[in-house]
Amino acid sequence: MTAIIEALNLSRWYGNVLGISEVNLEIQPGITALLGPNGAGKSTFMKIITGQLKPNIGEVRILGEKVWNNRHIFRRLGFCPEVDAFYEELSGFEFLFFLLSLYGFTTAESRKKAELALELVELTEVKDRQIRSYSRGMRQRIKIAQAIAHNPEIIILDEPLNGLDPLSKRRIIKLIKEFKGEGKTIVVSSHILPEVEALTSEIVLIHQGKILARGDIYFIRELIDSHPHMIRIKSPHFRQLAKILAGEDYILNISFKPQENVVIFETHHRDRFFNRLNELILGSLVTIDEITSPDDNLQAVFDYLVGK
Amino acid sequence: MATIREKGYHHWEGQLRDKPWNFWPITRTGIKLAFERRRFKLLFVLSFLPAVIYGVGVYVSERLENFKFMAQGVDKTLQVNPGFFRSYLTLDLIFFEILLLMSLSGAGLIADDFRHKAIQLYLARPLSKSDYLLGKAGVVMFFVGLLTLVPGILLFILKLLFSGSFKFFLNYPWLILSIIFYSAFLMIFFTAFVLLASSLSNNRNYVIAIMWSIYIFSNVLGAILRIIFHSPYSALLSLKANLDQVGAAFFLVKPPYDYPWFLSFLLLISFCLLAYVVVRRKIRGVEVIR
Repeated sequence: MTAIIEALNLSRWYGNVLGISEVNLEIQPGITALLGPNGAGKSTFMKIITGQLKPNIGEVRILGEKVWNNRHIFRRLGFCPEVDAFYEELSGFEFLFFLLSLYGFTTAESRKKAELALELVELTEVKDRQIRSYSRGMRQRIKIAQAIAHNPEIIILDEPLNGLDPLSKRRIIKLIKEFKGEGKTIVVSSHILPEVEALTSEIVLIHQGKILARGDIYFIRELIDSHPHMIRIKSPHFRQLAKILAGEDYILNISFKPQENVVIFETHHRDRFFNRLNELILGSLVTIDEITSPDDNLQAVFDYLVGK
Repeated sequence: MATIREKGYHHWEGQLRDKPWNFWPITRTGIKLAFERRRFKLLFVLSFLPAVIYGVGVYVSERLENFKFMAQGVDKTLQVNPGFFRSYLTLDLIFFEILLLMSLSGAGLIADDFRHKAIQLYLARPLSKSDYLLGKAGVVMFFVGLLTLVPGILLFILKLLFSGSFKFFLNYPWLILSIIFYSAFLMIFFTAFVLLASSLSNNRNYVIAIMWSIYIFSNVLGAILRIIFHSPYSALLSLKANLDQVGAAFFLVKPPYDYPWFLSFLLLISFCLLAYVVVRRKIRGVEVIR
């Protein structure tokens, strides 16, 4: 299958600071998630593929055409930036209408497409309200609306779920999945693994400006699972819990914080650990106040992958 | 690697249309946003007052017999000639009004886009940087043109209408071109001036301060140096003096300062070119480091 987006040996520096380095990537239709901690180079990559930054080395081609200095390609591409980029004085409808008119659509076409986009992101009811009065979720949705209003084949969404409440997140995830169903190519960036898991299984791990791994979510999970996980449990029976689990072969290490009633387990079989823990809880052998995974965040995953 | 695509790539079947007026929606929106400010509307209406007074002047000049009782010597002071049009277009009050209107409608043109990081929205669309700048320039040109070009032409037409003949036109056939070209010059200069200031900060209040400071400081500095050194060339440091000097040349009247007018012209054109280069660089400089 032809790659929709091709990045060939991309490198970009900001003075002495590295943005991305030697990135080679082919993106196919469907949802592809760029996953990486803050400062990994996701936004730089997105800015390059949306033609706003020129790479120092390398080239990006979208649908076989080069991106830099090729403004026609943007008729086929929609970009939703991470930061708010609004004229606060305009209403949601006026904002979309204005941006659509920049594509050369007639007034009637722009009006129709703006209405349709507002309907898609479920903002029709508030379309005449000034953007300054919109909630965080509404602002995120109007940002997505401006990216999809001209019905592009390729949609680039920079951290579309950032700062949203669970309900808004679910709405936007549903919406992005609908775009996928329409055969569009969607590139989403995020630094939160569970968010990405809810969106797609095709993941590109990016860290310190380099592509660290690429594959489906299970491949990434396997990579993660080959390294020990830390699970922190707060329980009045923390000593008893440690005693029971100490005999299990998947437990690598146990440490305590007695003053906090906390026990910390290290395991490389998270699923087996939690199955056993469930049994203990259901069997009323222990009660648990709190379970957290101190290293269950992306930075920890990347630290594992880069061998820190 | 798992395959997740379901439908595959759909060929785009539309037509690529490239309009020569790509910038127009930006101009239109800029003008619309300006009129959404209540203070701006009031100032906008008031800024036509000088044009109305000059219009009355044109009328009175054609009915001198009827107004002689009101002021003696009015026939000597109120002569509608190229100097009359030049005096309107170089009036201190007109420049003051332009700056006032631009403080409300022009200061945020680029500064607000910087503040909201909205440049990326424009540049992710089929627009070039030139389209963007042209769109923003259109807003300034629209308002400056309304205060200079439109009243200038209307005053000329009023003169013809009130005189009831084409004698004035035949006496000064080049005058209408002077009005058009000098107004266009003012439009270009103020566009460069406002957009340069607007690109220097992402806070529109700072932009307003920059605009007024440069304008007032240059005039004061020019005046002080003229007093100290008694050299007409000191006027080259004053924006207003340079505009006056060029205006006199356009209307073929004696320049107010005793040095060649083209020095002022070259200086102002150089300023516009410099402003263009700086603004273009600023637009290119929108980068986010994450």
